[in-house]
Amino acid sequence: MNLANPAALVWAGLAIPIVIFYILKIRQRRVPVSTTLFWRQIFEEKQPRSLWEYLRHLLSLFVQLALLGLLIFALTEPFFRSEVLESRRVVLVVDNSASMNATDGAPTRLALAKREGERIIEGLRFRDEMAIISAGTEPQVHCGLTGHQRSLRAALEAIAPSDGPTKVKEAVDLARRLLADTKNRKIVLLTDGGFPDAATLVKADDVDAISVGKKTGNVGITRFQVRRSLIDPIGYEVLAEVANMSDDPVECRLELDLDGDVVDVVPLKLEAEGKLSRVFEKTSAAGGRLSARLSRPDALLADNQAWALLPRRDVRPVTLVTDGDLFLEKVYQAIPLVKLSVVREPVASPSAFLTVLHRKVPARLPNGPVMVIDPGGACDLWDVGEKLQNPIVTKQDKDSPLMAHVRLDNVMMPEARQLKPKGKAHVLATALSGDPLLCAFERPEGKVLVLTVDLDKSDLPLQTTFPILVTNAMSWFSGSQGELREALATGAVTEVELAARPAPEKKAATSSEALSTPARSLLILRSPDGKTRPLPSGLAKVTIGPLDQCGVWSIVRAGAKAGSKTEPAPEVEIACNLANRAESDLRLPDGLEWKSTSVAAGYGGRPIWFYLLAAAWGLAGLEWYLYQRRWIS
Amino acid sequence: MPLFDSDFLKKLEYLSLVSRRVFRGSLLAQRRTMQLGGGIEFADHREYTPGDDFRYLDWNVYARHDELLLKRFQEEEDLHVYFLLDCSRSMQFGTLPKFDFARRVTAALAYIALADLDRVAIVAFAGDIVADFPLTRGKARILSLMKFLEALPAQGSQTDLSRVVTGFVHRTQRRGLAIVVSDLYDPGGYERGLDLLRHHRYEPHVVQIYDRREAEPNLLGDLELFDVETENVRKVTVTERNLRQYRQIFDRFQESIRTYCNTYGLGCTRTSTEIPFDALILKMMRSAGAVK
Repeated sequence: MNLANPAALVWAGLAIPIVIFYILKIRQRRVPVSTTLFWRQIFEEKQPRSLWEYLRHLLSLFVQLALLGLLIFALTEPFFRSEVLESRRVVLVVDNSASMNATDGAPTRLALAKREGERIIEGLRFRDEMAIISAGTEPQVHCGLTGHQRSLRAALEAIAPSDGPTKVKEAVDLARRLLADTKNRKIVLLTDGGFPDAATLVKADDVDAISVGKKTGNVGITRFQVRRSLIDPIGYEVLAEVANMSDDPVECRLELDLDGDVVDVVPLKLEAEGKLSRVFEKTSAAGGRLSARLSRPDALLADNQAWALLPRRDVRPVTLVTDGDLFLEKVYQAIPLVKLSVVREPVASPSAFLTVLHRKVPARLPNGPVMVIDPGGACDLWDVGEKLQNPIVTKQDKDSPLMAHVRLDNVMMPEARQLKPKGKAHVLATALSGDPLLCAFERPEGKVLVLTVDLDKSDLPLQTTFPILVTNAMSWFSGSQGELREALATGAVTEVELAARPAPEKKAATSSEALSTPARSLLILRSPDGKTRPLPSGLAKVTIGPLDQCGVWSIVRAGAKAGSKTEPAPEVEIACNLANRAESDLRLPDGLEWKSTSVAAGYGGRPIWFYLLAAAWGLAGLEWYLYQRRWIS
Repeated sequence: MPLFDSDFLKKLEYLSLVSRRVFRGSLLAQRRTMQLGGGIEFADHREYTPGDDFRYLDWNVYARHDELLLKRFQEEEDLHVYFLLDCSRSMQFGTLPKFDFARRVTAALAYIALADLDRVAIVAFAGDIVADFPLTRGKARILSLMKFLEALPAQGSQTDLSRVVTGFVHRTQRRGLAIVVSDLYDPGGYERGLDLLRHHRYEPHVVQIYDRREAEPNLLGDLELFDVETENVRKVTVTERNLRQYRQIFDRFQESIRTYCNTYGLGCTRTSTEIPFDALILKMMRSAGAVK
């Protein structure tokens, strides 16, 4: 045995005053008596006659010296060499993925795992150390290697449930890096086994896997997505997939609602291990939050509901500046959600969403999105040259959204205007001569698209490619507004484009104020449960995730209070669903080699000095008892 | 507070009356010493010799038996009461010191004896005789007697009754009633002293006085017992068991006194200082009257 604090042996000097006091004895109370005749008869007959009688007088001294010895020995903090040599480093990996929220444990599998974790913490020996890592959504270290049990318990309790996928393999890799070259290391994994390569991981020598949960059936929504209808501009298609991950058939209903209004209710009959995938076609110009809900409550609630976001489709006013072109008028009128107005002269500050200039180009293009067809003159963005005769399209930017389903190479274009861009232009279609036939400009006042073809002489207006081109142009001018954002699965990381705000028009008091007015102020990310976290400011795009909760996430301006009447509309909303069959399948995988117990405790998990103090306490009680009974003096 | 206050004197008078009227002056069942003399009480006959007084012939006997016999009459002697009062330091012990109680009892008994025309003497002792009040007679002497008692100190050394009685019995004095007023805490034993009194034809009566704290001491723990008489110190650890043993020993001591007195027909009064002295005297009288 070794001593951690041998300096405490100096307290052995207290034995000297104990012996001195014992010899001197405490000054006794003097009591006068009339005679000691009778007392003598009592005490003179009590002379020690045996060895035990002699020893009784010394017993108290021995007991007190033994008590002192135990206390001093406890102060020296003795420990066995084996405690140091065999001290263990343990990493407790707790799976807090979506499947661990199943209520087939009491109250959940995660709660069961925490209780098991507490039992393991109590089993730590005096010099053992433990770290705690959670393995849901993203591996996270909640507590570094320490032997302080209270800190470990607090860290274990702080592990929050999540709806994210299982990241056990990553967590175990992190644990192995944490333990590195340690001898006597062990990774204890508390999980329900719903992750890939579970069989391999469980068999690893340095991993003790303890299963949590039972074999429980579950029905869940495994897919829920929305996309724009290819036919109806205001129509949408909803893809919903429901899986029965149990050994028995089930019957339930799938309810769809849009902002609380029921859209559809679908009765479902699913066989054991069955799956139903269906596409619903709906229309809505107003948009909103589309949610799907299963009517059958079961052990896992996260996959009983799913969300998708339908952006609002607004009517776009378009101003057509032309002397009269029926084809142009008709093509815009054919586009749903477009309100067309035809004027003869361009307006300096148009109020329309889009200004279409047919041949009439002012020296300075108007603010806002502008489409110019057959530019009649130069402007601030380009100069015009000679007319091109029979230009042949040799190059097209097929990757651009403007050119989706558009082919200009088979269009007859007898005449086009030569365009000489003054600044940077994105050429979408190029003639053989190298002159742009279709190009786009990005400018702070708004995007500009130029088509240099003379429509009167071309058959482009008669081709299907023309309305497609115009529709593409409308979408392009709209930007991300009106684009559908697909629902993400929990655990996903996504990049969000933030819309730039126009600079304020009011006059600034000083030039510095004008310069300092930011285009983008502070943004916060709000989770479905209302918790917020700040986002970096001043960026056009921001990366958020991994998303660990099912529901609708939103990016709002800082200072906006959720649910208040004056709360501005969120900048961005993102739907997040579980949509993970592996997490929804609550049945424990068969054939895995689970451990029932792990990390055996030694010495009751307490240092030796604790037991020495307990022995000293017991000895003090014994000495008091013997003294009261006058067994010792 | 004076030892003999007016209340005490009133009680004394009362006790004296009770003694004369109820118990006909027989104090402590003493035997009166008899002498043949010129009293009026017939005692015996003797033969007539010429020259004797004819008035004392017993004519009834002559008529019946034709014998000439002279009557002889008793002449009562006054009783000599000797009080042997313990003045050792152990008598100072007690909430009410035993010595004060002993002196009151002695004064009361002495007053009754004086009122009955008996002679009274007081011998104060400890290890030896320390003071004497000579034999005296008459009620008027009570004040001197009480003064003597008041002036007595209880400073004597270790009690030695045997030695005291040895000195006492060798005095030239008439035999009588010897009342030993003491706690009898004699290391040599009280029996030898009382035996000497008996052997010298005194009539011993024992008045043993003790304090309640001596019978049932309230002591526990580590103590130094200081013997006030011998001034010895003894360090002891008193337990409950020791207290029980002490009580047994003290009871045995009391019992031994009673047994000894019964064996030799001695008067014995054992009392605690809690009992008022007048109640004790009355009790003693009743006991004497019952015996009679």
